[in-house]
Amino acid sequence: MKISSRQIQKQNTRKKIIDTAYRVFSEKGFSVPSSVIAAEAGVSHGSIFAHFPTMNDLLNSLLSDFGDKIGTSLHVLAKKCDSVENLLKEHLKVLEEYEAFYSRFISERDRLPDEAKNAFAMIQSTAAFHFSSVIEHEIEKGTVKKLPTHILFNTWLGLVHYYLMNKDFFSDSNVSVIKRYGPELISAYLKLIKNESEVY
Amino acid sequence: MKKCIACGMPMEDISDFAANDPGKDYCVHCSRPDGEMQSFEEKKENLTRFIVRTQGFDENAARKIAEDMMRKLPAWKEYFD
Repeated sequence: MKISSRQIQKQNTRKKIIDTAYRVFSEKGFSVPSSVIAAEAGVSHGSIFAHFPTMNDLLNSLLSDFGDKIGTSLHVLAKKCDSVENLLKEHLKVLEEYEAFYSRFISERDRLPDEAKNAFAMIQSTAAFHFSSVIEHEIEKGTVKKLPTHILFNTWLGLVHYYLMNKDFFSDSNVSVIKRYGPELISAYLKLIKNESEVY
Repeated sequence: MKKCIACGMPMEDISDFAANDPGKDYCVHCSRPDGEMQSFEEKKENLTRFIVRTQGFDENAARKIAEDMMRKLPAWKEYFD
């Protein structure tokens, strides 16, 4: 079926609103009014509501896109990993790509609507899927300490999230926390979880 | 890239598909040993157990997340209409 130029324009405007909201939320947080997003996107305020009747609709569409993108990136990169060290590197590589938005998301998650909270859980479930398959294999081999998978996963996530959520203490505003501290976090975490003879 | 209709996982390698069959719309994790797709209840319980095991969530919270994940997937649309 041929798509009319009006439909193409409609799709472009929708994309422009989502892309702008992604940037504005990354910079200023999720409580930014829709009028700011409209002004930044160069569209009328009414145009936002024509595409997204409520701000929650906009947020849910954006998070659904974000979840798909980050989930696919995690999947493609993590699938090739045969060691926990490589997996952690790939995990950080994906987080670095989306660092500003991801940091806002984890910092403000508990103030967002239910559907947005669940988007967070879905993203972590994708990460947990790859993490568990690699780390459980290493536990079987005896290279990683026999601890529950969820404790190993949550310890890693807790460490990374602490740095992201307190970025102002750890890094200048323009410097990626992941880039600056990633290697140290991976090395320290591996020392904590590896069986002693396997630490290098 | 094709995505599993039952869990959303991207499927690129032949080993990702149920029964190593790229003609299938669902993945190896959503199939039974005989290659058939798991039922709605089986998938919900498996996902719930997976979330509890890998993320340590409370079982009721995990079940709600499992349902919300499934709500968005084509295989389970009729269960949420």
